[in-house]
Amino acid sequence: MMLRVAAVKYLNARPLYETLDREAFSLELALPGEVARRLAEDECDVALIPVAAAASLGDVVFLEGCAIGASGAVGSVLIVANEPLETVREIALDLSSRTSAVLARLVVSHRLGRQPKWVGLPASEAIDFVGEGRAALIIGDPALVARDKYSHVIDLAAAWTEWTGLPFVFAAWAARDGVVDERAHELIARAANEGLERRSSIAEAWAAEHGLPVAPYAAYLRENVRYAFGPREQQGLQRFFDEASQAKLLPPTKVVIAGGKATRIEPLDSILARAEQGGRLSVGDGLRLFREASLFDLALASDAVRRRKHPQPVVTYIVDRNVNYTNVCTTSCRFCAFYRPVGHAEGYVLTRDQLRPKLQEVVSAGGVQILLQGGLNPDLRIGWYEDLFAWIKAEFGLGLHALSPEEILHIAKMEGLSVTDVLVRLQRAGLDSVPGGGAEILVDRVRRKIAKAKCTSDEWLFVMRKAHQLGLRSSCTMMYGTVDSERDRMLHLVKLRDLQDETGGFTAFFCWDFQHEQGTTIEPGDGGTTLYLRQQAIARLMLDNVDHVGASWVTQGPDVGQVALRFGADDFGSVMFEENVVSSAGTTFRMDARAMEERIHRAGFRAVRRNVRYEWLGEPS
Amino acid sequence: MTTSLGKIVDKVSAGERLSFDDGITLFLEPDLLAVGSLANEVCEHKHGDRVYFNRNMRIELTNVCVASCLFCSFAKLEAHAPGAHTMSLEEAWHELETRMDDPPSEIHIVNGLHPGLPFSYYEELLSGFKRIKPDIVMKCFTAVEIHFFAEHYRLSHEEVLLRLQKAGLDSLPGGGAEIFHPEVRTRISHDKATADQYLEVHRTAHRLGMRTNTTMLYGHIETFSHRVDHMLRVRALQDETNGFQAFIPLAFHPDGNGMKNLPAPTAVDDLRTLAVSRLMLDNVPHIKAYWVSMTPKIAQVGLRFGANDIDGTIVHETIYHAAGSSSPQGLRYEELVRLIREAGRVPVERDTHYNVVREWMPSAMPEAACKVRDRNADRHLRVLS
Repeated sequence: MMLRVAAVKYLNARPLYETLDREAFSLELALPGEVARRLAEDECDVALIPVAAAASLGDVVFLEGCAIGASGAVGSVLIVANEPLETVREIALDLSSRTSAVLARLVVSHRLGRQPKWVGLPASEAIDFVGEGRAALIIGDPALVARDKYSHVIDLAAAWTEWTGLPFVFAAWAARDGVVDERAHELIARAANEGLERRSSIAEAWAAEHGLPVAPYAAYLRENVRYAFGPREQQGLQRFFDEASQAKLLPPTKVVIAGGKATRIEPLDSILARAEQGGRLSVGDGLRLFREASLFDLALASDAVRRRKHPQPVVTYIVDRNVNYTNVCTTSCRFCAFYRPVGHAEGYVLTRDQLRPKLQEVVSAGGVQILLQGGLNPDLRIGWYEDLFAWIKAEFGLGLHALSPEEILHIAKMEGLSVTDVLVRLQRAGLDSVPGGGAEILVDRVRRKIAKAKCTSDEWLFVMRKAHQLGLRSSCTMMYGTVDSERDRMLHLVKLRDLQDETGGFTAFFCWDFQHEQGTTIEPGDGGTTLYLRQQAIARLMLDNVDHVGASWVTQGPDVGQVALRFGADDFGSVMFEENVVSSAGTTFRMDARAMEERIHRAGFRAVRRNVRYEWLGEPS
Repeated sequence: MTTSLGKIVDKVSAGERLSFDDGITLFLEPDLLAVGSLANEVCEHKHGDRVYFNRNMRIELTNVCVASCLFCSFAKLEAHAPGAHTMSLEEAWHELETRMDDPPSEIHIVNGLHPGLPFSYYEELLSGFKRIKPDIVMKCFTAVEIHFFAEHYRLSHEEVLLRLQKAGLDSLPGGGAEIFHPEVRTRISHDKATADQYLEVHRTAHRLGMRTNTTMLYGHIETFSHRVDHMLRVRALQDETNGFQAFIPLAFHPDGNGMKNLPAPTAVDDLRTLAVSRLMLDNVPHIKAYWVSMTPKIAQVGLRFGANDIDGTIVHETIYHAAGSSSPQGLRYEELVRLIREAGRVPVERDTHYNVVREWMPSAMPEAACKVRDRNADRHLRVLS
C-alpha cells in the first residue's frame, strides 16, 4: 500500500523529498503547521514535521537518519529588528511554525532573563510589524529573502548552539509507531542521500523560480542546513524538549526513534501527578488518561487542579439570557434541529419589539449580559448588527457575548471585509466577547462529516486569534460524541491550548456530548454521564493555560452539573431564562438562581455571580 | 481528607466493621471523592466490574391506602376519592399477558393499604401470574403491607407469609422502611408498621426461606444520625438472618405530598448516601442505585460510588412519578446494558435472587461488536461477599 507522505514546502526540505520514490509514496507539500495537522489527524502516514508538533502529539516516533537542523547559524529562522534585543518590547511570531516560536521564546528569555510581549501574526504581517520597540520572528523562505534588510538579526539556531553547545533540529520525519516499515524507512533514507547530492540543482531551480541569484541558496543548503539526524542531533532535540517542557511550553517528551529499543512507558500515576501540578500533557498523555485512568483518578486530579487555580471554595455563575436572533441559516449542519433554510415558512428574525421585552426582563432580573447567536442569515448585513448592538448598549447597557466565529466569518465573506475589520466594527458597536460555540471538534475530518458547510478548524481558530488580539475575550467549547474519536478530542484540546499560549484570550472551557434531537441526521456515538465527567476532567488537565472550566448543566441536567463541580469545574454556567415561561421574569429568575446556588452550596462551595470576564459581582454567599 | 476519614480508610482496609460515629464522619467528610472512591474500592473488591440488572416489571394495583405518610404523592385515602384506582385481577394479569413475547423474569408489586379487599385477592393475584408464566418470580408486598394484612385479616405475620408463599410469593421488596428511628418515623408515617414490625416481617420471611430487599427513604426531615441508625438496624438483622440481598437508598421527591416545601436531595447527596451505605453495610451483598429515584444519569455515576446494581426495566413506574420524578417510567433492556457499559462496568442480567441469567462482554461501544455470553449453565453462581 502506498504510504501518504507530507512535507514542509520550504527550500530546505526539498533535498529530503525531491527524489522520493513516487511508486511507494504519495507526496503532499504544505506549510509546517499544516503538515503537522495532517499527521495529527491521520491525513498522512509519515510527515516531515516541526519537532514541537511531535511533542504536542506525544504518540509519534522519529525516523533516524535525516532531518532538518543546524549547528550554528541556519539563516532561515531569525528574529529581526532595527534595534538591539534589549530595547525590544514586542515580538511578532510567525505562526506557521510552532517549533521556531518555542525556540524564539526560549532563546529570548535565556538572553534577556525576561519575556517581551509576544504577538501572533502570519508571516506577511510579521515582517511589517517591525518598528520602534518591535521585532519579528521570520522563518523559512521569507527569512532567506529578508535577512539583509535589518540592522539587528538574531539567528536562532546559532544562538541555540552558542547556548547549549548542541545542534538544533527544526523538523524531522515522524510517524505513528509501527506505520513505517524497514523498507519504507530505507527508501526515505535513500531519497535523502540522492537529494543531498542534488543540492546545487535544487538551489538553481529554486533561484530560477524566484528570479534570485543561485549562490547564496546553494550555500544555504550546503553549509547552513544540517541534514543529519544521529545521536548528537537527537541529543540536541532532547535538550530542546527538556528546556521547552521546563518552560511549560511543551509537554515533557522523550525522543523516541522508530524501531529503536522500547522506551520505558511513563506510569499513569506520574502523568496524573504531572497534570495535578500544572505540567503539560501531550495528546498521547491525554489518551493514556482516557483509556487507563479510573473515574476517581481523573476526579481527584482535576479537583486538585481546580483547587490550585481557584484556592477559594467558590463556584461562579452568570445571569444572562440566550437570544437566538434568527433561525435562518445556510449551513444545514447535520446535528442541528434549530435552523430553517432561507425562504422557509418557519424562518424568523427577531424584531426590536420582540427583543425589547426579553432584554427588559434580563435587566429587571439583575442580568448583566446576553448571549446573542443565530443562523447564517444572508439577509442580515453588518449594518444590521452594528445598529442592533448599539441599540442594546444604549437602551439596556447589557454586556454582549455575541456571534460565534462562524457568524463573524459569514459576515466577513458577505461584506467582502477582513475578519479584523468586521471585529473592529462590531467591537466599536458594543461587542464585548465572542462565544466559543461552533467549535464542535476542531479536526477537519470530523467537521467535514458533521458540518460540511462550516468553517475549517483553522478558520475558527483564526477568528478567535483576531478577536483576542483586539482585546475581546472568548469562551471555548467542545461538542463530542458524533463521529469523533478519543484522539480527535485530545487534538481539539491541544489546538485550543496552542492558541491560548499565543493569545491568553480564552476565559473558560465548556464541553458536552452531542444532544440527539429529532430532525437531526447523525446517530449519537459514545455518550453517557460517566463519559461526560471523564471528558471534562481530562479537559481540565489538558488545558493547563485556561483559567476556568464550566459545568454544562444545560445539556447534562442540573444533577450532573452539580457532580461535575467535583470533576474540575469552577463555574456553573448561566441561569438562563426559559423562552416559554410566561410568568413574571422576576419569579422565574429568583427560583432558578436560588436553585443554582442551592446546588452549589450542597456541593460544598460558596456561590457568586460573575460577568463575562469571570470577574465576581459581589461577595460569595 | 480528614484524619478521622484516614482512620476509616485503615479500618476498611483491615476489613473492620465501621461504627455509628464512622458513619457520621462519612456523611460529614467534605471530600465527596474520598468517600466515593473508598466505597468504590469496597464494591470492586466484592463484585469486580460486574453490575446487576434484571428484566422486571412493576405493577401498582391500587393507590387506595389507609396510611397517611407525609412523603407520599401516590396514595389516595378513600376508595372513592378522585383519582383513586384499583385494578381488577384480570387487568393485573393482562399486564404480563401482553408482554409474553419478551417477558420479565420478575414481577414487583407494591400497593396501597386497601381496607376493602379480601385476602383471597392477593392469593389469587399471585397464583394467577404463576399460571401465566410458571417460572416468573413474584417479589410482592412490602413488609408494611404484610403487617397490614396481618392486622386487617387477623393473622400472624407468619400465617400471612405462608399463605402468600403457597400462592406463589417468592420474595419481598424493600419498600416501607422509610427511616426506622421513631423521632422521624412517628412524624412522617405514624399510622403504619413500626420499625420493629417492619423488621419482624423480614425476619419471619427470612426464616421461611425468602430472600428480601430493604430500603431507606432519605433527604426529608431526617438527620445523618437517623440515616446511620437506620443502616445499623439493617446490619443487625442481617447479622442474625443473612436474608437481605440488596439495600436500596431512596431519595425523597417532594412534589405533591405532605412535605412539598422541602427541597429534594441533590445529586451529591444521592452519591454520598450510596457510598456510605456500601461502607456501613458490610454484610449486605448488594447496593442498588435505583435509577427511578436518582435518574439514569446519576445512577450511572452511582455505579462508581459503591452501587453494583441498577434495578431493572421496570416498564411502568407510578409511585415516584406521582412525586415528580423526571426519570422515564421504564428503560429498555438495551438501554440498561448501555448505561452500565458506559460506566465501564460489565452488565450482568440476574434473576431476583442474583443468579446470573446472562453476562455481557465488558467492552464499551459499539454495541454490535459485543458478543453475548450465555451463562444459563451457571445459574447457581451466587456473588456474595
